[in-house]
Amino acid sequence: MLSLGSGGGKSTKPSFVSYVTPEDMKIKEKEEGLRSKHPYLLPGEVVFCSANHVLKYTQEDASQRGVYGTLLCTNFKIAFISDESASQETAPPFRNKLLSENDIPLTCVDHIYGVSDEKKKLIIGGQVKSKYPSKLIIQCKDLRVFHFSLTYAKEEEAKKIFQGIVHHSLEPKSLKCVFAFSYCETASPSQASRKSSLTLMFETKEDWSVELGRTKGNCKVSSANADYVISEKLPQFFVVPFAVSDDDILRFLGKGIPFWCWSHHSGCALFKMACLPTIQEDGISQKYMHRMLDAVTQDQLCPVKIEDLSSCLPALQDLQLSYNKFKQLFLIDSTTEFWVSDMKWFSSLENSGWLEIIRQCLMKAVEIVDYLESAHTSVLIVESFFVPAVPEEHCSDLCCVLSSLVQIMLDPYYRTRSGFQSLIQKEWVAGGHSFLDRCNHLYQKEKEVPAPVFLLFLECVWQLLQQHAPAFQFSETYLTVLSDSINIPLFSTFLFNSQHHRDTAMKPGHPEAQRSPLNFPSVWDWSLQFDCKAQSLFTNPLYVAKPIQDKALRKTSHQKHQRQLSLPNTLSKPSPRKGFFKEETDNLKKIFLGKRISKWLNPTESSKELYESWQRKPLDYQGLLLPYLDGPSVRVWMQRYLRWVPEAQIFGGGSITTVNRVLELASEIQDLQKEVERRSCRMNSSTAWTQVYSGPPLSARLSSFPFTATHAWSFKPAIPSSIRQSLGSVSSLADKEDDDCQGSGVL
Amino acid sequence: MLTGSKTSFKIKQLVPDFKDKTLNFSNTALRSGETSDFTCLPGERVLQRTQPVRKPRAGGGSSLTGALLCTTFRVAFVPEEGLSKTEDRDSVPVFLGEHDVALASIERVVAVSPSRWKVLSARSSLRFRPEELVLFCRDLRVLRFHFEKSCAGTAEITSAIARVYQPSVPASLSSFQRSALGSVGEEGWEMKQYLSNRGTDPQMNWFEGLQDWERELARTGATAWRVSSVNDRFEMATSLPKFNVVPQRILDTELKRSFAHFTEGRVPRWCWRHPEGSDLLRAASFQSNIYHEKHDARNLEALLFGRHPQCVIVEVGEDMPPLSEIQAAHSRLRALCLGDIPASLSVPDEKWLSSLEATRWLDHVRSCLRRSAEVSCLLAEGDLAVVLQEAEDRDLNCVVSSLVQIMSDPHCRTLPGFQNLVQKEWVSAGFRFLHRNNYTRDSDKEESPVFLLFLDCVWQLLQQFPSRFEITEVFLLTLHDRAHLPLYSTFLFNCQRERGRNTQHLSQSYTPVNGWQELVNGGLAPGWGGPSFPSVWDWALHCTPERRDSFRKPSNAPLSSGIAPNGNSEMPSSHELSDCSGSGPGLLLLFSKGSLVPAPHLLPWRNAGGAASSWKNHRRAPSCDGLPRLERALKGQPLGPRGPLLPLLLGPCLRVWRGCYLRGALQIQVPPPVSSHLHVDFLASEVERLRGRLALAKGLDRHGNCKRAESRGTNQKPRQETTNHNFLFDGNGRTGCCPERRYTQTPTRGQKHPKLPP
Repeated sequence: MLSLGSGGGKSTKPSFVSYVTPEDMKIKEKEEGLRSKHPYLLPGEVVFCSANHVLKYTQEDASQRGVYGTLLCTNFKIAFISDESASQETAPPFRNKLLSENDIPLTCVDHIYGVSDEKKKLIIGGQVKSKYPSKLIIQCKDLRVFHFSLTYAKEEEAKKIFQGIVHHSLEPKSLKCVFAFSYCETASPSQASRKSSLTLMFETKEDWSVELGRTKGNCKVSSANADYVISEKLPQFFVVPFAVSDDDILRFLGKGIPFWCWSHHSGCALFKMACLPTIQEDGISQKYMHRMLDAVTQDQLCPVKIEDLSSCLPALQDLQLSYNKFKQLFLIDSTTEFWVSDMKWFSSLENSGWLEIIRQCLMKAVEIVDYLESAHTSVLIVESFFVPAVPEEHCSDLCCVLSSLVQIMLDPYYRTRSGFQSLIQKEWVAGGHSFLDRCNHLYQKEKEVPAPVFLLFLECVWQLLQQHAPAFQFSETYLTVLSDSINIPLFSTFLFNSQHHRDTAMKPGHPEAQRSPLNFPSVWDWSLQFDCKAQSLFTNPLYVAKPIQDKALRKTSHQKHQRQLSLPNTLSKPSPRKGFFKEETDNLKKIFLGKRISKWLNPTESSKELYESWQRKPLDYQGLLLPYLDGPSVRVWMQRYLRWVPEAQIFGGGSITTVNRVLELASEIQDLQKEVERRSCRMNSSTAWTQVYSGPPLSARLSSFPFTATHAWSFKPAIPSSIRQSLGSVSSLADKEDDDCQGSGVL
Repeated sequence: MLTGSKTSFKIKQLVPDFKDKTLNFSNTALRSGETSDFTCLPGERVLQRTQPVRKPRAGGGSSLTGALLCTTFRVAFVPEEGLSKTEDRDSVPVFLGEHDVALASIERVVAVSPSRWKVLSARSSLRFRPEELVLFCRDLRVLRFHFEKSCAGTAEITSAIARVYQPSVPASLSSFQRSALGSVGEEGWEMKQYLSNRGTDPQMNWFEGLQDWERELARTGATAWRVSSVNDRFEMATSLPKFNVVPQRILDTELKRSFAHFTEGRVPRWCWRHPEGSDLLRAASFQSNIYHEKHDARNLEALLFGRHPQCVIVEVGEDMPPLSEIQAAHSRLRALCLGDIPASLSVPDEKWLSSLEATRWLDHVRSCLRRSAEVSCLLAEGDLAVVLQEAEDRDLNCVVSSLVQIMSDPHCRTLPGFQNLVQKEWVSAGFRFLHRNNYTRDSDKEESPVFLLFLDCVWQLLQQFPSRFEITEVFLLTLHDRAHLPLYSTFLFNCQRERGRNTQHLSQSYTPVNGWQELVNGGLAPGWGGPSFPSVWDWALHCTPERRDSFRKPSNAPLSSGIAPNGNSEMPSSHELSDCSGSGPGLLLLFSKGSLVPAPHLLPWRNAGGAASSWKNHRRAPSCDGLPRLERALKGQPLGPRGPLLPLLLGPCLRVWRGCYLRGALQIQVPPPVSSHLHVDFLASEVERLRGRLALAKGLDRHGNCKRAESRGTNQKPRQETTNHNFLFDGNGRTGCCPERRYTQTPTRGQKHPKLPP
């Protein structure tokens, strides 16, 4: 067993063979002959370099076990093709069509470490070296860690692959080098599937009108920015209050305009605003602000409250720092380290501060919900109102997190899959979130401010999801897969900084050479990544669907009622606590700062009433949803962060087993129902049977089921004993095999 | 003496009811005003009542309105809307309703008004009108009662509760018990008679009689063991049960000589047989200051080894927290979870995690689980005796031995199996429940929540392997709460001897041979002895049917009894056949710090000069080969679905038992644990309904549609059979779900179970 790693590199049977039955081995040998060493390449994918006889460690500890294979670097991914990968092919658990198990998209690489002479060193792009390390450790953004040994590869191959990987994944590059471009040039566009989906893309005026109509918003769609004449950061179409004229929009090039996000059924609405670049000539800008706020209040007949996020939420840099710390907790190389860190787990988790940031975001969102829901006050979310630090500051980072969270809590539509996707399109894609810069895909240090803002949003949604699972149509797996998709450089959704950015990038680069604009796939086209069976894992089997007619009735009546009430209310007796009044506009700064302080001294107090009244009623999964924010309730997203850690896999356990049982039951009910219908109606309809994901038997699954579903046989100790004496521990592999046979023979 | 003249009046009415075998207190309701629905126990008196009072419902929603009563036994809440529903009197639990809290489990009484709050004790006086009454319970519950404006006598009932709950006086304990069970005199005898008359669950194994142990031996398929009654009169070891299981070839006379060699005479006794053939034993530490005769030494080794060639001694106490530390950690956890009055959670949210770590409770849970997982892995290797050794064999040995069985034996994860397990490893084995629970507050030094630690460990397993358990969180929670109540024979005594002395008549009734009737004919005077305590397992006495229903995972078929859960139907493996009993001393190993060390010197008698020859023998013994194999068992991969449930012990994998510890702090925010099963229940009933309709439809077109039925038969059949088993609980996990590689080698087994992958 040990000979594999240390000496005889020519051994053809890596350790894991011992877990395959003899029958399987025969099949595998047969296939091996047929299998070509070449990877499955996507259209437009080109292999840059490759190296044979690379050892991929299956264990990172001293045992040095591994699998031999070929390491490749293409313009899309770093791929490892095992020489014996047949066993993996027989039962693909939850396969991504674009990537196989050992593939790392270039944009997914987080850090690369080189190990030479037992020393681990971080490799930074740009340093061309003639030497190459003997061992390569690749940490991915989705928290996988790969260990490759280059010792047994040919020298020039190893050198080439090392330089290739470093060059293509760690060094600055231009957007045009991203794989999506070469992919789209060669792949045939699949327009049809995109159109048929229920997701609103918010690229056209109609989409906005539909959304306005759905929420009964009292605003107008503005096309002042058609063809991006005003601002490149803004979408072509957006929604503003009626009182905002095109001139107003032109005035500060799109800054200082309240953009409509969502309307509450009471008539108040949620807005977000990019702040003015600087408040210099007091007269003009203040008068302007005054008018904008008027526009918000008078249209809605509601008081308005300004929420300044910079004062209560961390800056982007802190976000990144905190996430990096948090991430390290799950990127521990060696087992021993894991057990040592274990004792300190809770305090190191707390020190990272990531959960605290999540809590703060949710808390802020609850506060905004409170204004909308109980005080019927419109809310205007502003990012860094008084800190004109970054000139390009826009309402596209934490504003997006907050506005989307508020909408998810208030509106059950956004808790369905299509609604959630529409929400991301509306708030993030059309809202101009700088995905490219935040994800740091291009490694352009000076331009990009990397920060996991979108991930933070998904984390917050996950907290809501795990606390109120039946309220969501999608599952945890869906969120995890979505968070992975950010790092696949193929989807237009996550590749650009704004709609304008995307449109210009997709325009043919050389007018003479190209015939039509490129057509990037959207991430919502899930069939590109997963087949139907795998997609069935995205839906939550326990979702409590909404009774349809009931909702429509309630909504209209409710709204009318509220409107009548709020009319005299706002005129005569505006709520003194939360209202925003004309007189106060003069010295915005003073008031808001003052207000903020009083507010933030006791943040939970403010929404306490909301919680109390919410808890008094029985929980309605189609109504308002509030997160629990106390210490024990905010948890770690286990599926995302622990799915690759073999020590954290429960064999045949985990909550996933329950979910799967329910899934099976639900599908059986569907089958039976259909059967009953067919029999009683005597109709010979050949309806398509819903397919339920059928993987390995339940008890043989791991708790991180869809991801590392089958045998991730680990040789690590099943039980963490503190310090082991290696008394007679060097047992040969053959021994183990024999034992296995014996054992099962007896049974 | 709280039973005054008032009660005797009631009891007269009670008598006819007792003659029927159901206790029906409805006739004896204290009919004062609207409280027609409150029924007093024989020794109970109502001290105060007030209404309307609101009680917030767990999990949110509108609060319940009803009457609040303070009696000599409990604080009872009688909801108004509940009145009309509970027509069926039999379903009402005798002792504690769903909304009641026994006085003995109250720890603090706090009166709250909008401006102030006060912790009340017996002597303190209340100077304001309380709007809310908060009861902090020992079992970490926090109950809140809001007094309505119209509610009169709020101050009176609050101070009445403060006066009677009196946690610390030993005398109050017996008066509490008396008020529930009746005292000397007629009514006490009636109650006693009623309690002993209750039929016991046939699945229940009390581990009191000879047959009980023999049943267990047969269940696990252990062959080389016998039940010895040498301790029948508790002469050999006072803390041991009457009957103990020892190797077959040891005679009682030989056995008698062995008791002196162990602390408190707790000799190695058999607990459980692993299906692979190894046996689990437990013992107290060796007495070293005793002369070992050669003859004794041989017997002692035979006791340890059984019929196995190898014996592993596991020092359970090593690396484990001392009892005082467990107690300290638990109080720290309590303080963290309950916080200060009335602020529900005093630790700021952002500091919650590090405070939790500082309690070290989860570390202790982890070390118990780790030790048990190690032992489970050792046992799975087969053909050895694992002896759990602890100084007194009465604390952590209970935890580890029962956890090992839960991990390895699916039967122990069923409701009756779990109860039997507690009965075997805790009640009968002599866990000092009385001292550890410290009901009377007079053994503070001895107090240690070892049993609660065990329940927490089980909960960790349950949440990691939800589909492998039949018992639910509700069950564990209920057991957790009841353990704080000094009312049950299960928790009131330190060992079987004490238990038998106090409730002789009752323990007789457990034995299958009409013990109770004989006793009556024996002419014992009514009122003899103290009150008779019921067993905690008699759930119908103190839990509503709804709660009892949620003790098990929903399933529409009982565990198929055909599959012996412990695999005793299997062929004895090869090494079992070769009895190595005669071949001199076997290999003795010590399991310490995660590794196995040959440790012949461990046995005091081997050090003695007389035993030198046996030491020589041992060195030549070939059994040293087994060592690496065992080492590997510890290091190897979890053994798959057949193997034990090995819990994950990583930081992120151990959780706080929110439903238990935090229900006080976040009372409304912790959803009741039942809710998740409702969906499954609903789905199950849906399946049943559709099946019924399908069967109906099939009957209708029996003539026409054969062909279609056949065509879909292949598609449908396996599914249906899947659901014929349990929905959530993988009862037959042992055989039903083999991993593929095993499956290919045992095709016959696979055919029986269509659950296997296609």
